[in-house]
Amino acid sequence: MEEKREDSLQEVAAAGKGERRGGFLGEALFLARRHVVFLSLVAFIAVMPFWAKPLSKPLGIPLVMVMRLVGIYTIVAVGLNILMGYAGQISLGHGAFFGIGAYTSAILTVKAHFPPWLGIIMAVLVAIAFGFLVAPVLRLKGHYLAMATLGVGIVLFVFLREMTWLTGGNDGIRNIPPLSLPGMRIGEARDYLRAEYYFIWVIALIVLLLCSNLVRSRLGRAMRALHQSEVAAEVMGVNVSWEKIKVFVLSTALAGLAGGIFAHVQGYIDPNLFTIVLSIQLVTMVVVGGMESIWGAVAGAGLITFIPKIVEALPKWLGEVPRWVEKYSNYEGMVFGLILVLTMIFMPAGITRGLSDMVRYRRSPFVNPFRKKAME
Amino acid sequence: MVDFLRNCPQYLANGLANGCIYILVAMGFNIIYNSTGIINFAQGEFSMFGGLFAYALAVSAGLSLPLAVLLAIAATGLIGACMERLMIYPLRRASVLTAIIATIGASIFFKSLGRVLWPNEAYKVPEFTPGNISLPGATVPRQFLWVLGLTVISVLLVYVFFSRTRAGRAMRACSVNRQAACLVGIDVSRMSFYSFLLAAALGSVAGLANAPYASYSIGLDLGVKGFTAAVVGGLGNTFGAVTGGLVLGLLEELIPGFLTVVMGISTGYKGAVASILLIMVLLLRPQGILGKGMVEKV
Repeated sequence: MEEKREDSLQEVAAAGKGERRGGFLGEALFLARRHVVFLSLVAFIAVMPFWAKPLSKPLGIPLVMVMRLVGIYTIVAVGLNILMGYAGQISLGHGAFFGIGAYTSAILTVKAHFPPWLGIIMAVLVAIAFGFLVAPVLRLKGHYLAMATLGVGIVLFVFLREMTWLTGGNDGIRNIPPLSLPGMRIGEARDYLRAEYYFIWVIALIVLLLCSNLVRSRLGRAMRALHQSEVAAEVMGVNVSWEKIKVFVLSTALAGLAGGIFAHVQGYIDPNLFTIVLSIQLVTMVVVGGMESIWGAVAGAGLITFIPKIVEALPKWLGEVPRWVEKYSNYEGMVFGLILVLTMIFMPAGITRGLSDMVRYRRSPFVNPFRKKAME
Repeated sequence: MVDFLRNCPQYLANGLANGCIYILVAMGFNIIYNSTGIINFAQGEFSMFGGLFAYALAVSAGLSLPLAVLLAIAATGLIGACMERLMIYPLRRASVLTAIIATIGASIFFKSLGRVLWPNEAYKVPEFTPGNISLPGATVPRQFLWVLGLTVISVLLVYVFFSRTRAGRAMRACSVNRQAACLVGIDVSRMSFYSFLLAAALGSVAGLANAPYASYSIGLDLGVKGFTAAVVGGLGNTFGAVTGGLVLGLLEELIPGFLTVVMGISTGYKGAVASILLIMVLLLRPQGILGKGMVEKV
């Protein structure tokens, strides 16, 4: 008996050091250590509504409501982060794929009376189909790819706006049924905000877990290889064009998923929600959260979604604010623009990566670009 | 069909006028691309500033129109120069992805700045010479002649600059091989500075000639169309920009015209023409109509 206990203590110690040992406890601790970020996020998300409710009023920010949106944007941002951060392929058209997801689910539930959960699944499938349709642009590189995906976003937006027989044009679609699962009414529940919140975050956390596994898989290594040098990756036996298409379609599928959920949470959609502005906002989330960082996507989505809400709440905190703060929506572009430019100049790997490097390597996260010697 | 043919002269005239604007924007893309290898996503915003500055100086400040126009061009050039020093210079060794994101950031920063300073949907910039001209089958505003003239002059000046002057040839050298250009004594970073100054000035000409309306929101649209024009003609090629601008301007009038008049489809699809053309050209003939094949070093 005594010996056995000794054994399991050793296991715990071994697991603490990150070594894998047999036995249930050791296994569990090993997994817990490996997924420490994920588990702490789960814990945070699970208890958040309980302390958020009494806090929302004095803060002037409906925390649970905003966190629903953060969850939705997290789903897109993770996909885009894999595409941009890991595979190095930029997309300036993901707002449109988000819109396609939203419209698919909205049209199917409003006009064909699908249940919302089926509508969301169809949204993912349609987004995948469009992803494959657009995939040929991945042959392009760098600036050309950026402009082509921008063009894709514009074309899809124009079609969403002009196909009035299907999408309702600029008037959009109203009275989209709220979220529900078979036998569960989520969006019409008594505490529907909290129900939607948990629904969205369960999906977002599953997506996060899958993606964090994915980037450590063969596909993940292939993506990082082709990011560094497509030729070298090709030589090493990576099927570059097919891997790029896979990653791109994955990211459009996630955008479609998020869009489908978004439509049911909002209840109405119109094409002007899904313009280039949204695409750039999504890119900003990835940049702020940090390239090559799955968990950074949560931080990026959270920060970008919360900034406007905090500014809106400022008058409540401070009593009186200058007039220009109240007209924040006009300045939003300037704030995002500055975030993008300054991040690129001073922390090209993104803010979370820059800060975590600072902690890890005990060095300044800022590279001083003005002090570098001239290139030539 | 008959209706469409009867409208054709008008489509051609409008297409030519828009094409001229696209040529000016496309040349801005080319100049920056040639000397730095960067595609400046904020190029359309230079045009936005051109129009809005001209409005501010001519209408709000009450200066005479020629003076206002010159000052607006100079002010926009200054913005381009500041952008180069503050953003492009620190990023001169950054990856393509970084440069793209940074210029996009600059673009939405400028757009938002424009919106804060000039919040209305549109401002009327006075035409250089008001009135219309009647041609057989078409009516065009007098302003059209100014646009045409300014474009021709700009194209010629840019061409002469790049082929005859020392600075222009130095810039071309940078585009061929930056390191080699540096070795023969060319100040590469100064060339990058000049190119942004010049591109911003050209962009502002496009914006203020594009009377009668200036708005904070034209930048992105004009940027994509200018880039399309540049790519259609072959990126980096001055006469390619001319060809591309005219092709785009005409297609953008003729295709929606045809669809609307003959097939009864809404004109709203006009906004997609440039992007579809861009994607098709990039996929089918990425070197452009006039461009030679591209070889990429590994």
